[in-house]
Formats: sequence, structure tokens, C-alpha cells
Amino acid sequence: MSPLLRWLGAALLLAGAAFFLSDYHNDVYRKLLLWVTLALSYNFLFGICGQIAFSHFAFYGIGAYSVVIFLFQFHLPFPLAILLGIALCILFALAVAIPSTRLEGFYLALATLALAQLFIVVLNEGGAVTGGPGGLANYKLPEFLGTRVRGPWYTAVIVLLLLGTLAVLWRLDRSWFGRACRAVRDNPEVAAAMGVDVARTKVIAFTLTSALAGVAGMVYAFVDNTVNPPIFGLDNAFLLLFMVIVGGAGRHAGAIIGAALLFLLPFVLSPLIGHHHVLVFGVLVVAAILLQPRGLVGLYDALRRHP
Amino acid sequence: MQDFLELAVSAAASGCVYGLIALAYLLMIRPTGIINFAVGEWAMVGAFGGYLLLSEFEWPYPLGMAAVLVFMLMVGWLTERIAVRPLVERGAPLLAPILALLGMLVVFREAISVSFPPDPHPVPYALGIQHQSLFIIAVTSVVFIGVWLFFERTVAGKSFEAVAIHRRAAALMGINLSRVTALSFAGGAGAAGLAGLLVSPNVSAHYLMGVPLAIQGFTALVIGGVGRVEGALLGGLLLAFAEQLTVRYAPIPAGYAQGVPLLLLMLFLLLRPTGLLRAK
Repeated sequence: MSPLLRWLGAALLLAGAAFFLSDYHNDVYRKLLLWVTLALSYNFLFGICGQIAFSHFAFYGIGAYSVVIFLFQFHLPFPLAILLGIALCILFALAVAIPSTRLEGFYLALATLALAQLFIVVLNEGGAVTGGPGGLANYKLPEFLGTRVRGPWYTAVIVLLLLGTLAVLWRLDRSWFGRACRAVRDNPEVAAAMGVDVARTKVIAFTLTSALAGVAGMVYAFVDNTVNPPIFGLDNAFLLLFMVIVGGAGRHAGAIIGAALLFLLPFVLSPLIGHHHVLVFGVLVVAAILLQPRGLVGLYDALRRHP
Repeated sequence: MQDFLELAVSAAASGCVYGLIALAYLLMIRPTGIINFAVGEWAMVGAFGGYLLLSEFEWPYPLGMAAVLVFMLMVGWLTERIAVRPLVERGAPLLAPILALLGMLVVFREAISVSFPPDPHPVPYALGIQHQSLFIIAVTSVVFIGVWLFFERTVAGKSFEAVAIHRRAAALMGINLSRVTALSFAGGAGAAGLAGLLVSPNVSAHYLMGVPLAIQGFTALVIGGVGRVEGALLGGLLLAFAEQLTVRYAPIPAGYAQGVPLLLLMLFLLLRPTGLLRAK
């Protein structure tokens, strides 16, 4: 089977499933797909390039807010709003990444932590533009080329976003850039000696994955048709990191498994322990790092090797 | 003038709190290279310890403060035992303990959020509301003088410095690496818990108070420089004055003061990445 057919088959299967689900399950399914998309791009940044950043979810929020603000506050045309939103993500990403990746150590983690915190403050204090603590609501996806996508068809759009993100990251991972990223993660000195520009590789990886998160955020803006500050808080930034660690950092399959597991776990756990599942996640992460640093994918590999 | 003096005292007090958090980072980074993001949560745990002992059980302040300090030392030691030592002994990359401590951050926060109702919990002042700033400054001065003397004047302090300079050589000289690491985590938790206890009368103990403190403390550390104990205090004071002057004199909503650390962090990383004070 040719690779193109395989991608097409995956798209048909994932999108087709949406047409058999009720409205509620469609909503859950969409969010699951979005979390997987985010985990995939975050995995490239954290798992493959070895950078800890807490801003991934903030960029998701910047994408969502910017497309809504450009469309419904400034009344810009749809394609222009999307392009401007992406430009905004890239701009913020460069502003944070260029100073913090010049140095060795974990400065990016702190800078992005501060950025994520500041983003929530700006949303809350933004007055009429961001809608303050209540956020923005009561808007609809504009018509594009005479049609308005909705229902299961919008789920199909999210499937395309997921597969598109995966395709981009897959190609990138197998190119010289992906190898450079892994080299920078494993040993920056050796990478530099081999002619890899370490700082530039880090900045590009950060900017690219942040832009991908922004695009996912734009798609998210029309899932609930509301954007508000609590959605984009730091809790979800941590959750994203945990998804990648539990699933298996550095592997696309790990990101997918981790995102699906940690997204669906609360649905199972809530009846048992209420809203305390985050505590379970924290324990799970510490256990994963102590016992199986390669995550669930690593566990699977180990079982297959020694049955 | 009166107005400015009040501002200066209150800025100095918050600067001391940031300085203590920065000191907590520094105590752990110097010998181990590990950035522990959970210091903010340690401060939060210290604040809740203050709430429990001083507000609920109404212990006398010095006794409650000493109990919180001892408890935090144990928390730090235990954290090192659980999340750091097994990884270091296995020879895992530096990233592993940092991630495990991030997991511990969430465990601390959620454990507190499960145990207490979500609203802010009041913590009493040490000597009354008008003297709290002076009390913070006094306690911080004592802590910093103590830590400075420890590093400069005692053999144990010198052994910390030796580990910071060259881990392997220090181990070959007979310095017990795991004891230094355990002590540095206990000390870090002590400093962070003290910061939380000192700041809590003004802001009330709340389970979300950790992250802003962690950011401000780290910014203070970057401003002052990772190499010197005095740098932590200097960075904390500078950051606090920058924040308070922004809130007081800049025509922007008070919430945006939270942007000051990010801005300073970026500026220092660009212009003076070694911080103001260089390591000796």
C-alpha cells in the first residue's frame, strides 16, 4: 500500500467515525483529536528537540483568541485573520526563544512559564477586546466559499488538522532538521562540533511547533464557539507535558497514546474520585520517570523484546 | 516623600521574599545543576503550614515558625529521596530529576487543594500589620547572613562550593555527594517555606500562590546571578522595586505588573546573562 493511500485511509477512518457519533460524543471526540494534535507538536519540541516549554498551551490560546478577535472585533476577512494569527504566534515565539536559547540550561522553561502566566493576565485585563474574565462567545464560524462547515464535517476538518500536523512533523523528523534536533537534545557540544547551529535549531523548532499549536487553537475556537481565560491556563500546559512523558517522549506513537490516555482517564476516574485526577496524573508522571523513562511506548518495546 | 518611603519599605519586603525564593533555587542549582520548579509550591506548603499552626491551632508565633521550618526541611529532604536520588544514582540525564520534580510540583499542589477548601486561608501577622514588612526584612537578613557565613566560614559550606565547582573532583576528595544534595534540597525547601510563611499574611494562603512566586524568584536569580548568595537578595530587591514602581507610576492595570518579571528576564538574558554579580 502506498503511503498516500495509507494517509487517505486514516483520514477516511478517523473522519468517518464522526458521522456515527452523537453530538456529545462528537464533542469529546473533537477535543480528543485536538489534544492529540497538540501532544504531537509538543512532542517534537520536548521529546525530539529536548526543550521544556510551558507556553505550548498559551500559543494554542493565542491562536484561538487572535482569530476570534481579528474576525469579530476588527472584522477582517477570514483568510487574513488566519494569516495574521499565525504571524502573531511566530512573533511571540521568536521574542521568547531568541533570548532564552542563547544560553545553556533551562531558561526557556522559565521564560515560557512567565509568558504563559502573563498571557492569562492579559486576557483577564484586556477589557472589551479580549472580553475580560468572561472571554468571548456567541460567534460562529464564518462562511467560506459559500458554505459553512458544521456538525461531523467540522470534526473532519480537525482530522485533517491532526493528519496535516502529523505529516509535517513526520517529514521534519526524518529530514536533516529532525536529526539536528535529536543531536541538540542528546549532546549540544557534539552537535555544534558537527556543524549544527544549536541556538538556531532550538529557535526554529520552538517557533515552528508554537505556530502549529496556534493553528490548532484557531480550529479549537470554533469547537465550543467560546474562548475564555481558564481554558488556556497553566494546568493544561502541565497536562500536555505529562501526556508526552507518560506516553513516551520522542516518539509520535507515544504522544498519541499519552494524549488519548490522559484525556480519557478523567472520564473513567471522575465517578470514582471526583475532580482529583490531576493528583493521580502527578503521581503517574513521577512513577513513569522513576520506573520507565521511555513511557508506555518504552514499556511496550520492552515487553515485545522479552516476552 | 512619606508615600515613597512606604513604597520603599513594602518593596524591600517583597524583594526579601523573592530573594528567599531565589536563594532556594540557588542552594539546589549550585551543587546539583537541578532547577527545581517546585520551590513555589514549597512556599505554598509553608504558607499552609502557617495557616494550620498559627490560625487553626493558635500556636505562639515563634514556635509555629520553628515548626514550619523543621517541617519544610523534612519535606525538602523527602523530595530529594523520592524524586532525585534514585535518578542520580542511576546516572539518568539531568532532565530526568527536573521532570520528576515537576511531577512533584503537581503532587504538592493537588495534595493541598484536596486537603483544604479552595478559598484563601488567612495567616496571622507576626507582630501586627504595621510591622510585617520590617519583620520580613529582619528574618531575611538573618537567613542571608547565616547562609553567607555557612558558605564562607564553615568546612561544610566549602564542601558545597567544591561540589558546585567540580563534582567528580569533590567526590574524589572524600566529599559525600548525596549528603550535599540532600542538604541542599532541605535548605532550599526551608528557605522557600519561610518565604511562603512570611508573605502569607499579606496574600493569604492559597493553593495557586506557588507559580507566580516561582517565576519571580527565578527572575531575581537571573538578575542577581546564579553564582553568589548575595546576588539572590540583590536580584529580589531590584525586581520588587521595578514591580512596585511600575504599579505605582505607570498608567497600566495593576495585573500587568506580572509582566515585569518576564520583561526583566528577557532583558537580562539578552544583555547580561551572567547576572549582576559574577561567581568568585
